[in-house]
Amino acid sequence: MAKNVVIPIGPQHPSLKEPACFTITLEGEKVVNAVVGTGYNHRGLEKACEARSYLQDIYIIERVCGICSHIHSTTFCQSVEELAGVEIPRRAAYIRTLMAELERLHSHLLWLGIAGHEVGFDTLLMYSWRDRELVLDILAMLGGNRVNYGINTLGGVRRDVTPEQIEKIRKVVDIVEERNKYYVQLALSETTLAARLGGIGKLSHDDAIKFGAVGPVSRAAEVADDIRVTDPYSAYDEVPVTAITDNHADVFGRTVVRVLEIMESVKMIRFCLDNLPDGDIAVKVPRKIPEGEAFVRTEAPRGEDAHYVRSNGTDKPDRVRVRAASEANWHGMKHMLEGDYLADVPIIIAAIDPCYSCTDRAIVLDNHDTGKQSVIDWRTLREYSINWYKARGIDTGKIKIADSHLIF
Amino acid sequence: MAKSLFEKAIDWGRRKSPWIIHFNAGACNGCDIEVVDAITPRFDVERFGLMLKGTPRHADVLVCTGAVTLQTRDRLKRIYEQMPDPKFVIAVGTCACSGGIFDGCYCVAGGIDAVIPVNVYVPGCAARPEAIIDAVVKLLTALENMQKGTPAAPVDDNVADVSALEEIENAVTEASAAAVHSDNQPADSATTGSQGGEE
Amino acid sequence: MSELIAEKKALSTILEKFPFLEGKIDVQRRQRIISSPMERPLFEEVFSFVVTDGGFNCFHLVIGVDDGENLGFIYVLSNQDKVMLLLKQSAPKSNPAIKSVCATFPNALWHERELVDLFGTIVEELPEGPTYPLPDGWPAGNYPLRKEWKVEYFDKINMTYNPPATVGKEEE
Ligand code: SF4
Repeated sequence: MAKNVVIPIGPQHPSLKEPACFTITLEGEKVVNAVVGTGYNHRGLEKACEARSYLQDIYIIERVCGICSHIHSTTFCQSVEELAGVEIPRRAAYIRTLMAELERLHSHLLWLGIAGHEVGFDTLLMYSWRDRELVLDILAMLGGNRVNYGINTLGGVRRDVTPEQIEKIRKVVDIVEERNKYYVQLALSETTLAARLGGIGKLSHDDAIKFGAVGPVSRAAEVADDIRVTDPYSAYDEVPVTAITDNHADVFGRTVVRVLEIMESVKMIRFCLDNLPDGDIAVKVPRKIPEGEAFVRTEAPRGEDAHYVRSNGTDKPDRVRVRAASEANWHGMKHMLEGDYLADVPIIIAAIDPCYSCTDRAIVLDNHDTGKQSVIDWRTLREYSINWYKARGIDTGKIKIADSHLIF
Repeated sequence: MAKSLFEKAIDWGRRKSPWIIHFNAGACNGCDIEVVDAITPRFDVERFGLMLKGTPRHADVLVCTGAVTLQTRDRLKRIYEQMPDPKFVIAVGTCACSGGIFDGCYCVAGGIDAVIPVNVYVPGCAARPEAIIDAVVKLLTALENMQKGTPAAPVDDNVADVSALEEIENAVTEASAAAVHSDNQPADSATTGSQGGEE
Repeated sequence: MSELIAEKKALSTILEKFPFLEGKIDVQRRQRIISSPMERPLFEEVFSFVVTDGGFNCFHLVIGVDDGENLGFIYVLSNQDKVMLLLKQSAPKSNPAIKSVCATFPNALWHERELVDLFGTIVEELPEGPTYPLPDGWPAGNYPLRKEWKVEYFDKINMTYNPPATVGKEEE
């Protein structure tokens, strides 16, 4: 029994999947094997969706993941709209895009904080989460809730954007951009951070394709795969999108991609606000959806989000399949971990941006030579890794934060 | 029954600096993020002396989010058993309170109270950080009242407080009774904990 | 209406090799090619062709569906031009045996484990490892995503499945 007892401190992520525990085999300090254990968060949403109507399903699907909630519901709505053969009004498409980009802002800021936390740079966590609050305020203003905005509905969106709200969004976006300039500078030129993040968690261009990595993980390996560009949805056919890529193919590259993406999102939000078309925000979608099947992909903050919906002519779907973005990235995890030091494990796992709770889990260490097993929790490992690097002269806790950005 | 100075000191410590552990039993992450949000600058729940801890053996308060999945059910029980007495549980989010939107899914056992006793319920999907702070403050006030031996003395006219207080008392007695057995027989106390889970 | 050049090109490559598939595999819309369900020997032939010679060398996911008599498996592949190919395989529910594609696409592993757990598929040559995603102690022989499996009859406390016919008997 003792062998399998792992205390899952905060199993994992939401989507139907996502792991809770890792079994890592070590040779000295090197990781030689990593097994990802999963299934703690399987709730059976797909079955639940089959028993409810399309409209009810939106709200279930939105709760697949609390961070990418908007993009999940957008994907689902789009699948159903495709099946029903309705086109949503342009204004609705723009509002969806606006929400999606705001969501990307908050998600990337969140990630930046977590990454800072994992490498012992807690100041960054506090700063970026503080900035994130501003974005959340905007999302709450637009959707009515801080996490699951519930703004999507079949055939469009539920709430309109007023001119006063647009003014507020502009102000916040300006602040976030200003602050983010500093994070970009930090990510690109801070030597301590570069030394800490560079060269670990490598996933080369070919491997990224082989393991089906998506989002920032693959874009950091120069795979220019951004669904917003390759398969435009919502208003992305009009909004100018630049896919950010980087050639580092490691954790450092993923950081660079994310901070630069925040800048891109800011531009896109401004574009949406400037070009918001007039008109209705929703069209009517019949309750019964004609028979058919739809496979829709969108670009969530973490990468490709794919939904498959099959209808059988009634008001309930026949089958709903959700493939969340993080799920695709876990496949390459084993590869990324192997060959790296134990001290790098926390940040490598955090770098694919699993939702926060899933980074907070237990780790089983398996010593290759002695065959002994020990269980350590995430926090211990994180502290170990910070001290390991400190002993080698890399102390992210010493990074000075520029004061000029403290103005609230 | 007067308390010794030592006991008073412990009481004071418990009141002024409760350590919490956060466990995701199957949440959508929305509430987890809000729990973490509560410790970041805008909300800063640490000013009440709260500290986020990594292991249940050090924690006084279990902050639990999400509907309990069948896979986490036993782990949740085990974590609860590992916490020292007296222990308190805050269920954050609608799905932690009742199963919420996930109630009835084949892998969801129900709310947190289907598995372990809960002291404070924080509804909301997701529960706002303000609500989480409120829950913490209510718990601390109830704790203070309990330590003073004042019977149900709500902070304000909120009825929830009375029940929270009673539940805390029940939980403490129950949990300490359970703990006696649980040392060598974990399965035993597990059944004690799941008394709410008939449905 | 755009020309769908890349889609038609990819489709014609497949139809050249398998002319009898005409009408069974078609362009659904921009960037989507959908086939109708195929039986195992034919599917394997088509699958290996599209992967090696058809240019569909990127695997996204496999979706399991319950078609009543049969189980369906939809393999989602894409090529350089980002055209998605939804290739379907079907197998009878009584003996739903399919071959694993993990050797070619390592990222199919979890998806195939999911087929085993949720649909009761027999995936041949699936690498050893933990089951996913059902919890420990899940009663064998229960496949929750099959249509005939109803959540109402599942007893979560004892982890048993009691369809109405057997409920009475068990109580005695
Ligand atoms: S209450 Fe809502 S936001 Fe919170 S974990 Fe449950 S579904 Fe997610």
